[in-house]
Parts: sequence; C-alpha cells; structure tokens
Amino acid sequence: MIHDCHTHWGMQWSDPKKWLAVLDKHGIDKAFLMGGANLYDSGLCQQDNDHLAQLTREYPDRFLPLGTAWPQHEKRGVAEAARCLEKLRMKGLKFHPYIQGFSTAGVYLREMCGLAGELKAPVFFHDGTPTYSLPEQIGGLARKFPKTRFVLGHCGLIWEWRSALQAMRLPNVWGVLCGPHMRAIEIFCERLDPDRLLWGSDFGWGLADQIEYRYNVMLRSKIPDKLKERILSVNPVRLLQYT
Amino acid sequence: MNAAAGATLTAASLPDGGAHALAAPSGVASAQTPKSITIDAYCTVGIDREYNLTEAQLVTAMDKAGVDRAVIAPPDRFLAVYNREGNESVRKAALAYKTRLLPSCSVNPWYGKPAIEELRRALGEGARMVILHPFIQGFLANDEIVFPVIEEAEKAKVPVYIHTGPPGNATPWKVVDLADQYPQVDFIMGHCGSTDLWADVIHAATAAPNVYCESSMARPFRFVGYMEAGSSKGIMGSYAPINELTFEWEQMRTFLPKETHADCLGNNFCALLRKRGPV
Repeated sequence: MIHDCHTHWGMQWSDPKKWLAVLDKHGIDKAFLMGGANLYDSGLCQQDNDHLAQLTREYPDRFLPLGTAWPQHEKRGVAEAARCLEKLRMKGLKFHPYIQGFSTAGVYLREMCGLAGELKAPVFFHDGTPTYSLPEQIGGLARKFPKTRFVLGHCGLIWEWRSALQAMRLPNVWGVLCGPHMRAIEIFCERLDPDRLLWGSDFGWGLADQIEYRYNVMLRSKIPDKLKERILSVNPVRLLQYT
Repeated sequence: MNAAAGATLTAASLPDGGAHALAAPSGVASAQTPKSITIDAYCTVGIDREYNLTEAQLVTAMDKAGVDRAVIAPPDRFLAVYNREGNESVRKAALAYKTRLLPSCSVNPWYGKPAIEELRRALGEGARMVILHPFIQGFLANDEIVFPVIEEAEKAKVPVYIHTGPPGNATPWKVVDLADQYPQVDFIMGHCGSTDLWADVIHAATAAPNVYCESSMARPFRFVGYMEAGSSKGIMGSYAPINELTFEWEQMRTFLPKETHADCLGNNFCALLRKRGPV
C-alpha cells in the first residue's frame, strides 16, 4: 500500500474526487493530508482543521489528516492542537513556521510538541527554509522532546539537505523525501536509518500534478527495491502505528 | 581590455574549431536557415561527494535523451576553491567530446586579482559561460566584489550563470540588481530561486530584459508557470548528475507546451552563446 506522506488540501481545491483522481492515476493508496488555509490564515485554522477531519470521515481509507495550530494564539493555540489530536482524532500535527511566521524557540510551540509526544502523535514540519524552518532548528526540538517523533517534511529541500542528514542522526527525527534532488535521496538512503525514511510529493499545494515528477524521482533513484517498499509502504504505517 | 578576453573569438579558437556550428535560432540575425538545437545548460562533470558523472557517461545520457549539446561545470569544490583545476578539467572534458560539450569556467571573487587572471585565461581557452555560486563561494550575488568578474564576462560576450535559491546569497532580485548595472551581460537565473524564492521569479525575470530563467531544480511542473515571464526567457538545464538527465528532459518535454519546446530546450540559450561564437 503506497503512502504519500506529504500532501495538502490547498485553497484552490473544492472537489475531493478530483484530488483523489490524481492519486489514483499514480497508484497512491493513502495520503497524509495537511491543510492549506490553516497554514496561511490563523483565522481559518479551526475551520480548516474541521474540514480535514470531515474529508477523512468521507474517505477514511484514503486520508491520514494532520492538523495545525498557531503558537501565536498561546493557550488557545495549545488547546486547538489538543482538539486536533483528541477530539478530531487527527494523526498528528503539521507546522510551517516559515509561512505561519513563528520561531521554533517559542514556549507555546514547545508545549504543543510535548503534548504530541504524550499522545504519541508525530509532529511534521516544513523544513529547508531560513530563517524559521531549518532542519537543525527542528533537531533542536527533537533534543528537547526525545519522546516526540518529529518529521522533516522536506529533508532540507534543495540547499539544506546536508543539514537534514545531520538532524536525522537523532533517533526521534524522521524525514520525508520530498524536495531534495535524486542524488541526495540516494545518499539519505545509503547513510540513514532506513526505518525513518518516508516519501511525499507536496501534491495539493497548488493544482499541478507534483506526484508525476516526485514519485518517479523516487522510483528511478538507485535505491534497492526492498528499501523503496519500506519507504513507500512500511515506514508510514510504523510512524502512525495504526496497524 | 585584456587581450585574451577582449579579442573576438574566431571559430578556429573554439574547442570544436567551429566545425559543428549550428544555425542561429529564431529571432537571431543570421544568413543561415534557422534550425532547432537542444542544449542542456548545466551539467557537472567530475567525481566528488554527490557528483559522480564522467564526460563519457554524460554523452551517453545526452544521446538517450536527444540532447545535442551540454554546458559542463566542475563539482562544487572547484567552484569554491581550486578554480584553475576545475576550469582545466572541464576544458579537457569538453575537448574530448568537442562536438557535444561546451566548457564553462568559474572563479571565486574572493581571490581578487588572481581570480580575474584565471578568468581571462579560461575564457581565452574557450570557456563559453561564467558560473557564480554565491552560496558555495561565500558572497552576496549583488556585492561589489563580483563586479570585476561580470566585467570580464561582458568583454568576452559570454553569459553569466548564477546559482540562485535559499539561503539568500543569490535571490532572483539580487540577479536583477546585477542585470540593471550590466545591461550588456546576459544573466541566467540558475534554478529560478528554488525552492522558496519561487514567488519572486516572474516579477524579477520580467524586470530585466537580460535575465533568463534556468529550469534545473525548479522542477518541470513549476517551471511551466514561470514561462508567464515569456518563453523567450526559458532555458533548460538538468543539473546532471544530481538530477538524472534523461528523466529531467523527459519530464520537461511532457510538461512544457509543445510550442515552447524549440525556444526553451535550446534556441534561447543558443542565442546567448552565439554572441561569443558558433555553437
């Protein structure tokens, strides 16, 4: 069962059937679904979290939703993170500090990361972008919260992938191979714990079919087939422990 | 003006002796009949860290992908330091496949006068493009430190390829700052600011007529959108071997509208290269 561990319900989308048709075209079974509106507009956070939960109720076999909250909302933000995980039963949290505009050093973000650890929910981060979304900054959180699983949503993208390699030495840091070039992907697979590697496309952020390119980069990389299977099918299940 | 860089380069002084010169692309004044050419604007030849491509392997991949020519560069280490070794290695690799590979050259501006001397030497030996990698070489793209390098490129009539993207040493708008000050130089915005400076690309590319958009790392699904700046701005590069050349070309041909293939896959870049001499 193939998992795309990095997708978005972007603001341009309205019809989940059309969205899922792109996954079907490429044989992707399940998608970790993050929001779009809830990352851009703090006022739409709750509404978009609710929408992701609703989409998952409609397509329970396809979506694995990740909610977000805004540390700038302080206690109210922490309560929203708890609501996502406990009431909406979302699978984890997703933060995009670069777009949401906060530092990973803030006290309320830390409270949310601690909460996620207690609830055994992974925390996904956009990474690869200065000044708020660098792999080493997420590594800093991982050091502070060793019981929380942190996921680098992009493995450092294009220019920070070597920093992601270092951050992923920490045992509670996982990485989604979504953004680095093909040679970097091969190097991640050669050097890192194969149990903490995932794959994703970032599909849904806009309307373009990003799966076509990124899935084929993964498939054409010089990686043993067994490891590809682990990345695409086994590790996502292990991350969520949902079987 | 430096004798080597300032002299008009004749076909005989080029690596292929001009034997395989193609006709000018559409829009370029020429007595010859326009004809399409496919050129990969950026490939790295050499074995170092993540780079693992020989010139022979590159030409095999080009054959498979239907690519006529490629501009070759040395691995990052030789952009940061050991510039002469890098430039010589690329020149020799291009000589071995003189009908297919075109040498580039690079110097780190922090070396000052010796850098300019090396640049003149490499251009005099036939390098067809100057590469700057501000992130690797350690300066800001629009810092005055780079001006003498740009001035040499201007004298030699070769395009300047600038690697752009985070963390911010080389943003699309920093390239425009240079382009404003050197209107006679063609600047290639390598990677179109990928990833997170993507929103600046169209505005920056349209702000300066002498700025072009190179596709590698920008990913075909996104590069297509950048052509809103005009398909005359598009330049295809694979950045092999860190991206697989055949795959990148296959994907670009799939995503790009067919009517823009000739321009973006070679003719636009060819027009820039031809300012120095035949391609």
